Amino acid sequence: MKFLVVHAHPDPESFNHELMRRVVRGLHAADHDVRVRDLYAEAFDPRLSLSEKRNHIASPDTKPHLAEYFEELRWCEVLVFVHPTWWGAQPAVLKGWIDRVWACGVAWELPEGAKRLKPTLHNVRRIATFTTHGSPWRINALQGVPGKRTVNRSLRIICHPLCRTRWVAMYRMDSSTPERRERFLRRAERVASRL
Amino acid sequence: MRVLVIHAHPDPESYSRSILLAVLAGLAHAGHETTVIDLYGLDYPGGPTRDEWRAYETASPVLDSMVAEHVELVRSAEALIFVYPTWWSTMPAIMKSWLERTMVMGVAFTLDERTRLVRPGLGHVRHLVGISTYGSPRWYVKLVNDNGRRTVTRTLRLSTGGKARTAWLPLYSLDGQTAQGRRAFLNRVRVAMEKLS
Repeated sequence: MKFLVVHAHPDPESFNHELMRRVVRGLHAADHDVRVRDLYAEAFDPRLSLSEKRNHIASPDTKPHLAEYFEELRWCEVLVFVHPTWWGAQPAVLKGWIDRVWACGVAWELPEGAKRLKPTLHNVRRIATFTTHGSPWRINALQGVPGKRTVNRSLRIICHPLCRTRWVAMYRMDSSTPERRERFLRRAERVASRL
Repeated sequence: MRVLVIHAHPDPESYSRSILLAVLAGLAHAGHETTVIDLYGLDYPGGPTRDEWRAYETASPVLDSMVAEHVELVRSAEALIFVYPTWWSTMPAIMKSWLERTMVMGVAFTLDERTRLVRPGLGHVRHLVGISTYGSPRWYVKLVNDNGRRTVTRTLRLSTGGKARTAWLPLYSLDGQTAQGRRAFLNRVRVAMEKLS
């Protein structure tokens, strides 16, 4: 299957970057077709621009600088996110990839006279997220789980009607031991190889 | 009261700008000392850098002069007001970037050495207010969990030690609103700001 891995972490020596490598290794082991978008490595600008905002409901042709991103979002069958959870949610750089790339004519359409947008990202049949939290699970629950719901609800609704989601998270990073971190890496790789 | 308003919208002619002006009018009327951070106007960068991330949990996490200035504004603020359009159920990336770079250790929280748990650092903030526009109707916003609202009224509120009062002023189905509906919302915003105390 075709996998698009979208990764956001500023430090290539971080645990999270290693997590991304292990997930990709798991996908390769299962012989999938994998593309990786390492947003920090390519200095992706997450800020939706004025012209993109003004062309919000215009054709993707009005944003030729994003064509490559549009193409791979339409290409993939499985979307994989690998990122740390900061302030309960995706890093800004990843949120910006969503703001800019999930555009009109790519992920959705607004037919003439319609009140709500029409989902068109039917090629995406599965979304899997691998993430780390500094805090314990209960803190995330108190926060209202905003990161998970942004992907598993707000994005999921735009994808294939039967699109399935998978959430693989490690909590309490701030107090983790090397053994627990290694166990999580092994688990992530195993889950990825079976996606 | 010292109030810090953080605004994010790429278009200086947007409705979101009109909301910002209504906020400022209301706060001025109530005699509050207000500072605005207009993120797009400042060409605020997107997301912490590698060096900022490496400094995040150290004693000196602030590496940038603009961030240092914003940290001082946060430290002296009694109210934080966020004004932004909701995209994909939450805040624009540029505003999330501001949270990530400003709300660092020693500002928004401290880390307890013994338990390795986060302790609140925003105890001086008495009000957390979010004002946002949505393309979607209310039922849809609720269905997808209204994640931006939760980030402001729950995640940030935890950093105030659960003490801050929260207010959320939403305008749903923005594209379907009449000119009258939009004006009424601006009025509602202005009145709410006048009553902030």
